[in-house]
Amino acid sequence: MSSMSNKVKVIPCSGMGKVQGLVARETALKVISELCPNDAETVCLAYLVTGDDEAKDKIEGASCLTLDGCAKLCAAKNVELAGGILKKKFRVVDIFREHKGVKPGSATMLTEEGWQLVDELAEKVKKNVVELVREV
Amino acid sequence: MSDEVKIGVVSCSGEDCLGGAISRLATLKMLNEIRPDETVTICLPLFLAGGEEERGFAQSFPTLAVDGCNKLCAKRATEKYSGKVSDAFDVSDLIGKETAASKPLSTRYLTQEHQEMVNKVAKEIRIRFEDILMDYYKNAAQRIKASGKTPNCGCNCGK
Repeated sequence: MSSMSNKVKVIPCSGMGKVQGLVARETALKVISELCPNDAETVCLAYLVTGDDEAKDKIEGASCLTLDGCAKLCAAKNVELAGGILKKKFRVVDIFREHKGVKPGSATMLTEEGWQLVDELAEKVKKNVVELVREV
Repeated sequence: MSDEVKIGVVSCSGEDCLGGAISRLATLKMLNEIRPDETVTICLPLFLAGGEEERGFAQSFPTLAVDGCNKLCAKRATEKYSGKVSDAFDVSDLIGKETAASKPLSTRYLTQEHQEMVNKVAKEIRIRFEDILMDYYKNAAQRIKASGKTPNCGCNCGK
């Protein structure tokens, strides 16, 4: 593994224009900061996009979980291009489908319902992090 | 390009540090509140994950890159995959390098202090945005003058 750390990489999309993107980002932050700080970390997706060797080194051969806000799956595609081992692709749209009718907020700010989606998705991601750590 | 020119504002993803979060929120403020009709943006990773349309972004719109740290990913990735940016700046020059490099921010914990940083960066975006816009119109006027043609004003006045 060329990655400098053995932590599982949890990488959200940039999610600029849509609430789904903010949910992806907040979920990743919750996992790395609160739920699994010792077992998971993130890598800035924009840095991967630059294609720098240092950015690739961070991800090449590392176990990665991606969180994408839309069907373009930018996080998953960029992680694969950078040589990360994509263990699971989470799609925020799937959790939205499970909760039809919720009003999650905007690309800038989440509502209480939006935060509930983040908390729920973060628990799912955490489960995967724990499983991956056990595999090592 | 239509008469109503739009300016592209491209923020870094900013998952790694506070500067990135501030960059992202200030860009969204520009997009949603300050100049909603004249601002467009793109998710930076779409330059790789998307198609020709996404890669043509910086050729279609004069573009301002807003970066959260000195890695300057938004500027470098835009210029690598899409086209030269019209202007760029690093948020850490405005809010301080140490502050910008501190841990990433969840909007759940956004404080008044963070909001002030967002406003400061959004103001800088607006200033640079207006300069880009002015340059665009100046260049357009020069192109028209050089062509020797009178622009059709679009109404029925015959001009």
